[in-house]
Amino acid sequence: MWAVEAIGLSRVYASGAGWFRTRGARITAVRDVSFQVPEGELFGLLGPNGAGKTTTMRMLTTLLLPTAGTARVLGHDVARDPVPVRRVIGAVSGGDRGLYDRLSALDNLRYFAELYGVEPRVQRARIGELLELVGLTGRARDRVEGYSRGMRQRLHVARALLHRPKVLFLDEPTAGLDPLAARDLRQTVARLVASGTTVLLTTHYMAEADQLCDRIAVISDGVVCALGTPAALKDQVKERDVLEVEVYGAAAEHIARIEELAGVRGTSVEEREHLQVLAVHTDRGAGLLGPVVAALDGLRLGKVATREPSLEDAYLAILQESGRESAAEVRA
Amino acid sequence: MRGDLRRVLRLTVVGVRHHVLCMSTSPMILVFTLVTPLAYATLAFYLFRAADRPGTPAQVAVGAGLMGMWESVVSRAGGAVQTQRWLGTLETLVMAPMPLAVSLAHITLAAAIVGTYSMGATLAWGMLVFGMAPAFTDPALFVLAVAGCVVSLGMIGMLLASTLVLLRNANAVANTLDYPIYLLSGVLVPITVLPGWMQPISAVLPTTWAARAVHLAAGGGGPGEVLVPMGIGLALSLGCLLPAVRMIAWVERRSRTAATLALT
Amino acid sequence: MITRAKVRQGARVIVIGGAISYRALFTWTAPAMFVSSLFVVPVLQLLFFTHLGRQLGVADDRFFVIGGAVLSAGFPCVFGGTMAVANERAYGTLGAVLLTPGGRVALWAGRMVPYVLNGLIVAVFTLVTGVLILRVRIAPADLLMIVPTLVTAAASCSALGLALGAIGLMARDVFMVSNLAMTVLLLVSGADVPRSALPGWMRAVGEVTPVTHAVVAARAVAGGAPLADALPALAGEAAIAVVLATAAVVLLRWFEHGSRRRGALDAH
Repeated sequence: MWAVEAIGLSRVYASGAGWFRTRGARITAVRDVSFQVPEGELFGLLGPNGAGKTTTMRMLTTLLLPTAGTARVLGHDVARDPVPVRRVIGAVSGGDRGLYDRLSALDNLRYFAELYGVEPRVQRARIGELLELVGLTGRARDRVEGYSRGMRQRLHVARALLHRPKVLFLDEPTAGLDPLAARDLRQTVARLVASGTTVLLTTHYMAEADQLCDRIAVISDGVVCALGTPAALKDQVKERDVLEVEVYGAAAEHIARIEELAGVRGTSVEEREHLQVLAVHTDRGAGLLGPVVAALDGLRLGKVATREPSLEDAYLAILQESGRESAAEVRA
Repeated sequence: MRGDLRRVLRLTVVGVRHHVLCMSTSPMILVFTLVTPLAYATLAFYLFRAADRPGTPAQVAVGAGLMGMWESVVSRAGGAVQTQRWLGTLETLVMAPMPLAVSLAHITLAAAIVGTYSMGATLAWGMLVFGMAPAFTDPALFVLAVAGCVVSLGMIGMLLASTLVLLRNANAVANTLDYPIYLLSGVLVPITVLPGWMQPISAVLPTTWAARAVHLAAGGGGPGEVLVPMGIGLALSLGCLLPAVRMIAWVERRSRTAATLALT
Repeated sequence: MITRAKVRQGARVIVIGGAISYRALFTWTAPAMFVSSLFVVPVLQLLFFTHLGRQLGVADDRFFVIGGAVLSAGFPCVFGGTMAVANERAYGTLGAVLLTPGGRVALWAGRMVPYVLNGLIVAVFTLVTGVLILRVRIAPADLLMIVPTLVTAAASCSALGLALGAIGLMARDVFMVSNLAMTVLLLVSGADVPRSALPGWMRAVGEVTPVTHAVVAARAVAGGAPLADALPALAGEAAIAVVLATAAVVLLRWFEHGSRRRGALDAH
């Protein structure tokens, strides 16, 4: 039995605000998503904002009904049997809302412990142990309204773990956290996985996915476009070199010219303060430094280097290819 | 079986305590649950005096307290789902294995309990300012009648919570529910001058019976006189609760279909 | 020297500036909430007090219909006036508004005009609905004579709202303050209780707060008295409007000055 199994999961939103709902647009947020997560695995959904990660999570955590396909958590259907699913899962959705701000962390946890049916005899000890785990012991009696975003996020994690869930869903757990808090949270997650909890997390941080996840599904425009271990995903781009050029003032025309060069597989541009870092994916050993510099047409250049592709490069390549495919679909 | 009952009891106590605490830390409570009923009490007291019927300050204080209790239930229970949605906790509540109706029951019961702050305030006000004698012949019976009223209001609150959530303009509707109920239920003074067609409506409103029980208990009625209307009120409220529970389950399912659990 | 262009510009600030800010700042954006708060609730309140009065035999229906109608002008005006100031701050536009070179009196008077109109519409609606539902006999001509009293009440309530809004710039939660203010008006104005039954200090407060004198004037003309008889009461209400509006402008100027000194126009 899989811890989590999605089969052809789809979700269409009928949007249509205002007084006339009849002619609303229909937006497909998730399209035919399938994957299986064995027990004890840390599985990542990686994708840009708006790719359908959160919608997928919401369907798996019984908050949203799929419009097509099915999903099961430890054998329970998320649409038909939400209650058995809810008993075995814990979920943290990103953001700092969703807590009772005027009450203390302790009060929040006590209430949810009761709603999750945690045995009264073990409640006190369990809450204490979770506060310890997320590092809130000293602040447990303070009102949540005074908490930082990181503290709220940690309280959410504690809340989600009250009933010792077998499967934990984390939606962008480190979004908006400072690097230190994010690292602490990742360590906590790693410990949970080590103790046998299955974890599904969404993220758009490559490094996080690389460091934590056993397997990753890359999701873009509601479609899973790659699925595998971080190493396997990196393998997809191992036949490439990445030429990294710091450049001042490159415009769309320069990029377009580079992309037309024979042997270039794709490009990505990262804007830094007053320069851009241009990553040109080329076939291995293509030696395109000269033509690329020529295409930049006398622009001022900074550092230039060639390096091995990283997971981030793999991710960007996957996204670019899936973008090209869907563009081709549209054209066809 | 006995263990189950104890769990349910514990769940209710913890849940209701939680929401009473949430509501009690809001400064708006001070105005709407304490000050407004005191203003009503004052106004009503002088109206009674103008009518040359000064003999019943206790009736005025109890009536104004009942008005405050109803106001609390309409505004807080009626808007329970919307409030949780704003807080972002609606999803967390739905995701818990407990039926949503149970969590909402905690909120509506808490709203009715917070409403009793009004009763306390108007009684104290009556004694301090208007020299009302604490003339309860049977204080225990009065407390029991108020408790019955709280449970009644909590159940009616469930009906409000489940129906108002379906309306786009729930706030606007809830806003208009205060005065008609004051009028129809005779909370301040038993109203005999209402048009005839309103009398049957008045008779089927659980609030009418709950208010009658509280008034009778305050006015020195015996246990028989108090318990009968209280029982009728509770029975009618139970009639509100059953459809409400079904409706809440339906609302939850609908929200999962239409993706309206979150604020966004 | 006041030129015609200056006058015209002043008028534009009052009318157009006022209308735009009214639309932008009246946060009862949902029409249903607007209708229920301003049109349904005052009528229901009026019906409640009329029936209570009937039950107790305190006064006739006309007493409560007139009182309820005049008081109903207070809902949109007090809340509206408060919002006119408070929302400028909430939306962070207060700094920009206070920095405009135009005259402050024209600016804030412009803010008030739409609320006065709104209050008038609400009060007329409440009055007509109350008269029709309760079949109160008031001669149509007398009904028309009530309108000036409603306008005056709307003006003084808007001025009160503006003054509360100005205080609200220094306090945290202005709507708590305006809610309390409406409660006070309900208590002391004699709209729903004969003022003779109130203790002396409450009557004294009523002398200097909005609505009280307008209610007296409205009851007089509704009873068939010529408008001239009601003029002293009407003048009293108008005087309160002027005093409150002046107080509001002074408070706002003081706030403006103070915050410029502290360099914190949008500070909370």
